Amino acid sequence: MNSLPVQSAKCGMRNGRQLRNAPQPRSTSAALVFLRVLCVSVVISVFSSPAFAISGRDIFEKVHEVSVKGLDHEISMTMVLFDKNGGKRTRTLTSYSKNAAPEAYKALAVFKTPPDLKNVGFLVHARTFSNRDLWAYFPEFKRVRRIANTSQDDSFFGSDLSYDDFTGPANLDDFKFSLEREEVVDGKPCYVVEVTPKTRRKYTRYLAWVAKDLWVQVKIEYYQDRDIYRSGTFKNVRLINGIPTPFRSEMENRKTNHRTELTIDNIRYNTQFSDDLFTQRSLERAGK
Amino acid sequence: MNILQLLRHISVKHLRHQKARSLMALIGIALGVAAMVSIDIVNMSVLRSFEDNINRITGRAVLQVTDAESGFPEAMLDVVQKVPGVEYAVPVIETNGCLAWGDERAFAVLGVDVLQDGNIRDYSITDESSDIPDPLLFLARPDSILLTREMAAREHIAIDQQIKVQTVQGTRTFTVRGLLEPDGPAKALGGDIAVMDLYAAQLAFGKEGRIDRIDVSILRGESLDTMKERIQAALPEGYNIDTPAGRSRQMENLMGRFRKSMDMIGYLALFVGMYLIYNTVAISVVQRGREIGILRALGATRRQVSGLFLGETVVLSLAASLLGIGLGIILAKISITAVARTVSSMYGRSSITDLTIIPLHLAKDIAIGVAASVIAAFFPSRSSSRISPISAIRSTPYSSDALRRHRGLTIASLAFIGIAGAILLVYKTAAHASPLRSSSMTIAAMLSLLLGISLSTPLFLRRFISMFHRLFAGRLGAGGRLAGLNLEKNLTRNAVAVAAVFFSISLSVSSSSLLFSVQKGLMDYIDDVERSDVLITSGHPLASAGAQTIPMPLEMALEIEAIPGVDAADPFRKLFITISGRRVLLEAIDIPRWLKRNTVKVVKGMQGDVGTMMPGKDVISVSESVASRYGLKPGDHFTLPTPQGPVRFLVISVVVSFASDSGVIFIDYQTFRRIWQDHNADMFSVYVRPGNDVIDVRDAIRELYKDKRKMFVLDSREFRAEIKKLLDQSFEMNNAVNLLTLAIAGFGIIITLLASVFERTREIGILRSIGMKRGQVSGLVLIESALLGLAGGLLGTFAGVLTGWINLEGFFRLDFGDSISYQVHYLSICWALLLAVGLAVLAGLYPARRAAKTNITEALSYE
Repeated sequence: MNSLPVQSAKCGMRNGRQLRNAPQPRSTSAALVFLRVLCVSVVISVFSSPAFAISGRDIFEKVHEVSVKGLDHEISMTMVLFDKNGGKRTRTLTSYSKNAAPEAYKALAVFKTPPDLKNVGFLVHARTFSNRDLWAYFPEFKRVRRIANTSQDDSFFGSDLSYDDFTGPANLDDFKFSLEREEVVDGKPCYVVEVTPKTRRKYTRYLAWVAKDLWVQVKIEYYQDRDIYRSGTFKNVRLINGIPTPFRSEMENRKTNHRTELTIDNIRYNTQFSDDLFTQRSLERAGK
Repeated sequence: MNILQLLRHISVKHLRHQKARSLMALIGIALGVAAMVSIDIVNMSVLRSFEDNINRITGRAVLQVTDAESGFPEAMLDVVQKVPGVEYAVPVIETNGCLAWGDERAFAVLGVDVLQDGNIRDYSITDESSDIPDPLLFLARPDSILLTREMAAREHIAIDQQIKVQTVQGTRTFTVRGLLEPDGPAKALGGDIAVMDLYAAQLAFGKEGRIDRIDVSILRGESLDTMKERIQAALPEGYNIDTPAGRSRQMENLMGRFRKSMDMIGYLALFVGMYLIYNTVAISVVQRGREIGILRALGATRRQVSGLFLGETVVLSLAASLLGIGLGIILAKISITAVARTVSSMYGRSSITDLTIIPLHLAKDIAIGVAASVIAAFFPSRSSSRISPISAIRSTPYSSDALRRHRGLTIASLAFIGIAGAILLVYKTAAHASPLRSSSMTIAAMLSLLLGISLSTPLFLRRFISMFHRLFAGRLGAGGRLAGLNLEKNLTRNAVAVAAVFFSISLSVSSSSLLFSVQKGLMDYIDDVERSDVLITSGHPLASAGAQTIPMPLEMALEIEAIPGVDAADPFRKLFITISGRRVLLEAIDIPRWLKRNTVKVVKGMQGDVGTMMPGKDVISVSESVASRYGLKPGDHFTLPTPQGPVRFLVISVVVSFASDSGVIFIDYQTFRRIWQDHNADMFSVYVRPGNDVIDVRDAIRELYKDKRKMFVLDSREFRAEIKKLLDQSFEMNNAVNLLTLAIAGFGIIITLLASVFERTREIGILRSIGMKRGQVSGLVLIESALLGLAGGLLGTFAGVLTGWINLEGFFRLDFGDSISYQVHYLSICWALLLAVGLAVLAGLYPARRAAKTNITEALSYE
């Protein structure tokens, strides 16, 4: 999967025009926000427009414009799922991604632990940012299986991240943006942008807190009408190869009180992987 | 004065004075309507439950691709997915499992491609509405299973708990990865459903590379018929493409015989109610003769008098029908669980949570109740209008009226019997596939015959009494002679009592002869085809394929044969295949092994051919009903749908089989394995080596599989007892109706005799005054009573023997073939006659006591 830190693809439009022409919406979520942080951190050095002179759409376009830089990567990470009773399930995985121009991107994620999930893998081929194919591989069955392109807002296999968070960038033309206010979060001045999907989604809108200094989201809240449905924070942002990367992020489902923590253990950008890594055969061999 | 005024002034007063009789008639009709209503509600609820379950399990699928129950290669999924116009095509495995502890609760297992299935069904393993803590683990592990929250609560199962489940592979341990909320498929079957990932289900249930069904949704704008044709064209021949509603219909057809027998009981109950109405109105006419005479003398027309009685009947039957509706709903509530259990074990899993009450059906039942009552009251009410005013006022015997009436009754009786004969003639000469050859025809014939014989009771009673006079009356002294004369004097009223006894005895004789015939036929058949010492079945011994059975792997035969004392364990597989939209049972038997110890009754073809030509070859034998339905004879070729596409088989013989009312096709087990690639068995016939104890071997088999799998291990005696028990159970409803009719007949006799005693108060007073003792008076009434019972018993026996044969035709020969022969159960006839006389004497005790207590002075001043 185009796992969390790989979400640069979500904001990884080649340029603003391409973004506007992309036909399908993609929600922002933990992973997306995580990636936005990367994008924004890159953008920060380029853009220095005064806050009051910028619109919500401008903010997100800038984030997307630079996000593509994070598409080539290899990330090892730890995902911890907490249930409402305090029980937790820990799993580690490695994610590989590649900018697949002229197509969108390709990604592969392989679980390392726990033993029950070892070598379980996911493969994404995004022909465009709105058209993707997903496959999963479960070693016990020795079978590559296609995943239906169903609700992009559903939970991604028990985590608090959605399918959409894992599978690619959104089309900004499918959202309305409104710069609401400015706030300080954890000592960082932020723009608060309200993002409303134009088509029916599981959420009715979300608020994104974008740090002015890094152009990175540090907080996100999804709403179903007036109620918060999911919320997330993105912390410990470090610049890796000039790309701001949040090393610790957290997303919580407010309905189920289920929480997912994601920590980057190791990250490498500009990997330039071969296409052979992103095949079904490679999926069956856990990327080896 | 119009009818309404007559009703208000006369009938209300009469009803008030004749509370007991009116109440009994009301209860009679109410019970008849209640039986119809409850049977209708139960039938509709069972069918609606099947329909609801099918809809819930099929989700948004509009078409379903199925093959034989053993499943078909999953490669067909790609074929269907590529058909233009198909939106989604998802694979399904639908099978059974049961918990390996506690009450071993059985449940359905739905194996679906969880990653694709959200396109068709309304649930998601990753949605917040499901409680699945780790969906990834659920998918990754082959031991994963999801239960419904309802089932988990009922069985005290928690998430992450390991549970032992009986599967085709034996007892397997599964881990409950989550609970499904009661929605979509998780609400089907009363929550007794588990969901597994398709590939895990394939492993667990021995269906690697195979699926049972493909659920298909189609693109908007595509027509259902066009899509059916396209999918049919893309698939090899033999696959069945149907709508979910079509599957419901198949289940409805499968349950056809069950429904027919239930309907039959409803009709019989109503028929009994009609007797009560007839009885009530007829006696009322007799008792109110004087009143009728006065009315007629005052200018009331015949039509008004007749209308008065019919009006009373309408009011009474309407009230009774409304009461019957309420009673019927209560009866349905009480019986639904038991019926659902029977249906589940015999036909397919059913869970009924709500009663399905259709107002239109209730209205129909009310209309039938009223109409039946009016028909029953028609003849006595018409006779009331024919009473001449003078004879009525003088209370003279209405012999002349009765005589004319009897002539009319005789003609009507002959007409009904003639109609019954004509219907039977049409039925017997109609082709098997003709709609005229249906159980509705035999029901119509039977009812017509019963009605005809009922109408003949006055005539029969007159003959009976005259014979009694000639042969026996003298031997019984004055009491005997007087009893005969008394019965003759009020022939109509006494004929009604006789008719009630006749009806109840005819039902009793009919059902006992029918049961005896079926029992004998089935047991003879089993003695021929099943001579094993121990039988191992995976489900109910008489269940249809596809009911709650979990097939056993063929390898079990080797394990069983390794048990000391076991000579052989022959496998036996049964599954339904669909031929031209109709299900037929396919029975796979290891012919060479089986024929060593069993015989098959060949109706057409050479006996020896079964053993020499069938093994290993594309050759089949068919049951009589299949031969008749598809016009097959030995030497013909018949194409069957198989997982490998259509295969042409040579029909070698037509044989007797009572294994399924859907018809049976026999195939050699090796041929079946080769073509169907199915290596399971539903039954093993175990033969014990001479010198070994069957019970020891049976116990050793039970011990071997005690913790491994749920199955029935029965020695041949137990197996036969189980079948007999099942047959008896299936006749339990008939027995209940018999008891009801007997009770009604008893009441009929009491009413008739009481009326007779009251009417003869003065006469009894005179007899007492000239020296007749109380005991003699009492004896007189008891002799009358016994005579009524005997007359009814004799007529009932005659009618019962005939209706038993008609029932056998319509309910068994139609489905199982003509080989089942009709056997009159003479012992039950003797019992029925004894019962009739005994019941009549019992019913006569109270009127006899009343008559004996008659005060001479009061009696002489009576009238």
